[in-house]
Amino acid sequence: MRRLREDLHEIVREQIEFRELLVQMTARDLRLRYKQTIMGFGWAIFTPILNTLVFSLVFMRVAPVHTEVPYPLFAYCGLLVWNFTASSLRFATTSLTGNTNLVTKVYFPREIFPLAAVAVSLVDFAVAAAVLAGLMAHYHVGASATLLLLPAVLAVHVAFTASLALVLAMANLFYRDVKYLFEVILTFWMFASAVVYPVDAVHGTLGQLIRANPMTTIVEAYRRVILYGAPPEPVAFAAVAVFSLLVLPAAWLLFHRSEFRFAESI
Amino acid sequence: MNGPRVVFDHVWKQFTRGERHDSLRDFVPALVKRLTGRTATESSQAFWAVRDVSFEVREGEALGIIGRNGAGKSTILKLLTRILRPTRGARKVEGRTGALIEIAAGFHPDLTGRENVFLQGAIMGMRRREIASRFDEIVAFAELERFMDTPVKRYSSGMNARLGFSIAAHLDPDVLIIDEVLAVGDRAFQEKCQERMRRFRSEGVAIVFVSHHLPAVAQLCSQVLLLESGVATTIGSPTEVIAAYCRQAGAETYDDVTVAATLRASRHSGEVFDVESGERLKLDVALDFHVAVERAKIGIVVRDQTRDLYVYGASSDRVGIPPIRAARGETKRFTFAFDAHLTRGLYAIEVNVVDPDRHRFLAVARGIQQFHVVEQVSYDGVANLYLSGAPSGVRAEPVAIAR
Repeated sequence: MRRLREDLHEIVREQIEFRELLVQMTARDLRLRYKQTIMGFGWAIFTPILNTLVFSLVFMRVAPVHTEVPYPLFAYCGLLVWNFTASSLRFATTSLTGNTNLVTKVYFPREIFPLAAVAVSLVDFAVAAAVLAGLMAHYHVGASATLLLLPAVLAVHVAFTASLALVLAMANLFYRDVKYLFEVILTFWMFASAVVYPVDAVHGTLGQLIRANPMTTIVEAYRRVILYGAPPEPVAFAAVAVFSLLVLPAAWLLFHRSEFRFAESI
Repeated sequence: MNGPRVVFDHVWKQFTRGERHDSLRDFVPALVKRLTGRTATESSQAFWAVRDVSFEVREGEALGIIGRNGAGKSTILKLLTRILRPTRGARKVEGRTGALIEIAAGFHPDLTGRENVFLQGAIMGMRRREIASRFDEIVAFAELERFMDTPVKRYSSGMNARLGFSIAAHLDPDVLIIDEVLAVGDRAFQEKCQERMRRFRSEGVAIVFVSHHLPAVAQLCSQVLLLESGVATTIGSPTEVIAAYCRQAGAETYDDVTVAATLRASRHSGEVFDVESGERLKLDVALDFHVAVERAKIGIVVRDQTRDLYVYGASSDRVGIPPIRAARGETKRFTFAFDAHLTRGLYAIEVNVVDPDRHRFLAVARGIQQFHVVEQVSYDGVANLYLSGAPSGVRAEPVAIAR
């Protein structure tokens, strides 16, 4: 118990000491992308738009599904939310192993690496959200007062993503297979998260499994708050919120306690 | 604060040699093996990189750590900077710690100098405002005013190192941990770095300095620790420890002739003589021949220990000693004399015996005697040229004024 308190104290103290480094590392990664690629921030909207086109073709022409709002809007909103988690975790997984020089040579809280990966994706998320606003205007779907709940949904989403980011970055440092394994899981996970189809369309045990997936709840919560003018499903969302807020400190603590082995194991 | 800033209290560090299970492919079979009771013999692969090392550094003190490659110097640095954690023992570093290790480690090649200054500063724990307020100083110190908007990938390695050092030099540390940074940049910049570090020390910063560059260690440090295979074998004044290190480094064996030599000077303390610059020194040499020799000659070499510089070499045949002829088991004695027209520093005498017909050494006795030259005028160099000077009394020319 005492050790736990000391560790938590250290985590907080280090974050305060190095609070500006997270901003600098995030800025570094954004600047690099802007400099190294021609499209720069265009990539933030390119992927969800292209995916929306593909899934619109499938779910409007090939196998039409019923959605409360026009399908492209439905799909873009889901893909936007999903993309934030997917790209955060993809960057986070290699964030420690891709910065070997810093990990083995300089000391600062290593949490910065996966958290900066999440922060970079959050910026992309914001950029791509502008397109969502455009689509809403196009389809004459207006936002309602439930939009005020958006910060709560976002907070849960970020906490959930950050906990996984910490665990994956650490796991990939110790076992390099994690990166490949995670790529496979990611595709599977997207289809298990009701990103591109309405969850009500799936019945039976499969439907229940998909509902039990926290990402389904998070994606649905965004759609309800932004597009449907309804609050998130209270029970499911509260469960995910509690889960995320418990897992985040646990993941952080685990990460912090393994930190000193990073330089030896990388 | 009066307690020591840096404490290393009986620190041990163990590493595991060889491959670890870096991938699940290796790990899963290993796990299965362990579960089925077949134990892997991993503990035999463990080795101690640092064994029972203790030291303390207080405000305004500088500890130098020297030793051969693989002696454990870098491990100690990483333990100090919290990158590694000791297996046993405790280490304590109090106050804001600046680490000049791989000073350009945080640089990203695609970012400009300016962007990298802010990034690297943040990595070192500086606030953005702090960096911004010292930005001009940092750039001026690095002498890179014209290159701040150039991506770092276009920099030379010297420019890179200059910028890295400059950022670190403008940190406001209580403890400074330095690794080999002086090996970078040109001569003038190295001087500047050393000057900056001396200033840190006089400002009360506690310094730990790891280097192969012995003159820098001798100049900066108040105490020096010699590491051998992870063990701190000697800790003491720079002169003594550097002398011990040089003796250890020069231990080669040619055993056809055993050399004994005694230096005679006016003063001496322990193994190292204190000598006035220009003093005449006498060296008595006794050679025990284990082989019969037709024609041998003796070489006398003086080396600057701290700068690792060959200062002087001459041989017996040039000073009128005829070729030495000796039977097996015979002992021959000689006396040499020379004037130590040298600048301050630690010097070592090497006596070697050469068989010119067979082009080979019969004996090489490196660092057989050492002496420390005391002198106040010079600040660099090896040869004492006895600079003197006085104002020459010429009236100042009137300054021409343009009409």
